[in-house]
Amino acid sequence: MSTQFGALCSLILLEHFGEIVQKVGNDLYKCQSKPLRLIPGSTKLPLQKVKEALRIMIQYDFVTFSMGQLPDRAEYTLLADKVVLLLRYPRYLLLMKTQYGDEAEMLIEEILRQGKDTASRVIIRAATRLKESLKVEKVCLVTLRDKFLVLVNKQFVMRCPYPSEEKDVPELTIKEKQLYLPPDINLKGLSDLEEGKPGNPGDEGICWRVNLDRFHQDFRDQIMVSAISRRLDDNAGELLRQLLKQMYLRTEPWVATSNPVPFTELREAVRKQSSYPLLAQYVDQYLKIMEEDSSGFVSKVGDSSGGQYSLNMKTAFIQLTWATIENIVMERFGSKAARIFRLVKAKKFVEQEQIQQIAMIPAKEAKLLTYKLLEENFLQMQELRKSLASNVPNKTFFLFYIDLNQVARMVLEMCCKALYNAMTRREYERSENRRMIEKQQRIELITLNMKEQGATSEQLAEIEEMLTPPEQALLEKVRIMINRLNEAELQLDETMFILQLYLSYQI
Amino acid sequence: MTTNKPEESVRNGNDQLSSLESSEHRILALAKGSGKGISDKDIQNEVPDLRPDQRASIINKLLAQGYFDLFNQGGTLLYKLKDPSRIQKVKGADNEEKIVYSIIEEAGNKGIWIRDIRFKSNLIPTQLNKILKILENKKLIKAVKSVSASKKKVYMLYNLEPDRTVTGGAWYCDQDFEAEFVDVLNQQCYRFLHQKLEATRDCKGGPIAARNISYASSKDVWKYISELGISKVQLSVEDMETILDTLLYDGKVERCVTTDGSHLYRAVESLLPAPGIVRIPCGVCPVLRHCSDVGSVNPKKCVYMKEWLE
Ligand code: SF4
Repeated sequence: MSTQFGALCSLILLEHFGEIVQKVGNDLYKCQSKPLRLIPGSTKLPLQKVKEALRIMIQYDFVTFSMGQLPDRAEYTLLADKVVLLLRYPRYLLLMKTQYGDEAEMLIEEILRQGKDTASRVIIRAATRLKESLKVEKVCLVTLRDKFLVLVNKQFVMRCPYPSEEKDVPELTIKEKQLYLPPDINLKGLSDLEEGKPGNPGDEGICWRVNLDRFHQDFRDQIMVSAISRRLDDNAGELLRQLLKQMYLRTEPWVATSNPVPFTELREAVRKQSSYPLLAQYVDQYLKIMEEDSSGFVSKVGDSSGGQYSLNMKTAFIQLTWATIENIVMERFGSKAARIFRLVKAKKFVEQEQIQQIAMIPAKEAKLLTYKLLEENFLQMQELRKSLASNVPNKTFFLFYIDLNQVARMVLEMCCKALYNAMTRREYERSENRRMIEKQQRIELITLNMKEQGATSEQLAEIEEMLTPPEQALLEKVRIMINRLNEAELQLDETMFILQLYLSYQI
Repeated sequence: MTTNKPEESVRNGNDQLSSLESSEHRILALAKGSGKGISDKDIQNEVPDLRPDQRASIINKLLAQGYFDLFNQGGTLLYKLKDPSRIQKVKGADNEEKIVYSIIEEAGNKGIWIRDIRFKSNLIPTQLNKILKILENKKLIKAVKSVSASKKKVYMLYNLEPDRTVTGGAWYCDQDFEAEFVDVLNQQCYRFLHQKLEATRDCKGGPIAARNISYASSKDVWKYISELGISKVQLSVEDMETILDTLLYDGKVERCVTTDGSHLYRAVESLLPAPGIVRIPCGVCPVLRHCSDVGSVNPKKCVYMKEWLE
């Protein structure tokens, strides 16, 4: 993994967990894995602090441990990918909110905050927060529990593994059938606990964590559906969604190509929904154009029961990665460069001369752009000698080609860097205006207190005037800037998601 | 034209001369009619009244004048007519000129680069230059600037129309690539196809019918462009396909081949909108590679960021 990725990872740890965790994280990033004893030496931190940092990171599944070279010593490994996923948490929550409602969002947020926790504690905390945000006296614990069960059922949360037998270095395992076993919560105990009385909800010791892959699966499906909607139309998008649903009935979610889905079943499913009448009328036609489209998401694999269709996840993400990179080339180097890039993609191996001829770009410009792309590693060049004798003139060809894997990795790297920059800038803007922001926070606090004490509106206005208009304008500006950077970070993560998924399908 | 009887030849001079001349013409006509060449026997059949020695002398004369090439095919000698335009032109030229001429002739309307002539002829540059000058002055050959490399000249026979790869066809005006013209055509073609795609939005006949409507053949596009009248030069359907191919590589259209081998085109949408990374300055930043925490290019002081955030 690259240093850029490490830097990003380190910055994220700093932002969320502070300096000590960051230092330990950096130290672990540099080596594959390390026993506890060696960390204080290289980080110059006291053992106690290191232990604490490791505990935090283990809690969030950022660090794992296993038996090392010495039989009774654990070695710790940093899972940098998981750390970077922290950036995606807002998107997980958004997905929950839009698809499963506010309660689900709260529950997931509470688990994410703690890394892992028991169902009852999560529910109680969510209840407390809901009460605050909705300003009500009581929330229905049963609804929350049922929501939790739904999330388990949909596999958005799963049980944590636990140590199986007594060993010096515990091994965490869990049987597959236990993973999504719903918790048995004693409602009486739960409500007692919520009211602050001693009670036993009966699920002590069973911890839950968020199944991030399940979220990624939804993201993936969303991307594919919206791509098809863009290319064809919303009806086709809906058809793909139905197809995905049918696919999950018979296929592991992450395989490269799904098992075939029979047409008859698909048609049934489409008929059941009513918001897309046109789709119901033309299912077969939509399937046909989807199958014939160059995106290659869907292919027909058999003729029995009206046709068998399967979804090509791997192909889909190859196509989406191409589209992403083509777009990037377009924005970075202009439309002519994008034309050259696509041309090389189509021809696989091509000479400079051919490029300018087919792309219809003046020779000089074409050469300039081609070599620019080469320099920036979007294109590769291969030398081809026709004769081995070195004294024969004009017998060497230079062929341009694209190594998609390599380009995808490079763009991923660019994303890391851009993310790092955006975060750095955000923190910079914040610290530059720290004094002002703190002042504002103080004033808000005072206002709140005064309100509770029943201050008059004149008094309140007076306090608010402690911030001068120019100060307020500045604060507003800073707020907009920070929002903008935050938003950019989320968008960058979307690009990263596609590329990472592509690369994971390539293995 | 040797004869044993001088007196007779004097007496019948005119007669004999004309009969010989007419035989000569008949032989030439015969050779012209047969592409493969003619044998001695063919000549005998064509002009039976010619004496063998007369025949020999006529052939010798034609060979000497460079009308005929001599071939040996399966033991029989064949006489084949050379390209008539050439004979007259190289007439009176010396051997080097003839060689250079034939090298250039071989290259056809694609032309040949002076360096390659030098390799093939083994002449030294000064001599070759001189010969090329002479041939050019005689209007036997001409130099044409090639579009593939601006300083590169190629030589070809004077009366030839240069190949498209040399002139670049419709897209070149005096060896200059007309980039703007190409761009305009590119846009117009896209507009045409895009309109077709838009028109399918409210097509009631189902998705396949809609898709089929959005297709246009290269001929349709060609007609549309011709009627627009934006081109000063006459464009061919192939020219149109060249332009449509640029749209293909712009990722804006798709091409498919029909059963009869002709091409159909239609406008398509890209699968994704502009990705997140290009919506922040770093994604399109020219100095991304040099940007880091330390040094003068850094995210805290970056002006691109500053502009973007304002
Ligand atoms: S921070 Fe500024 S200089 Fe650095 S990569 Fe981003 S845009 Fe470029």
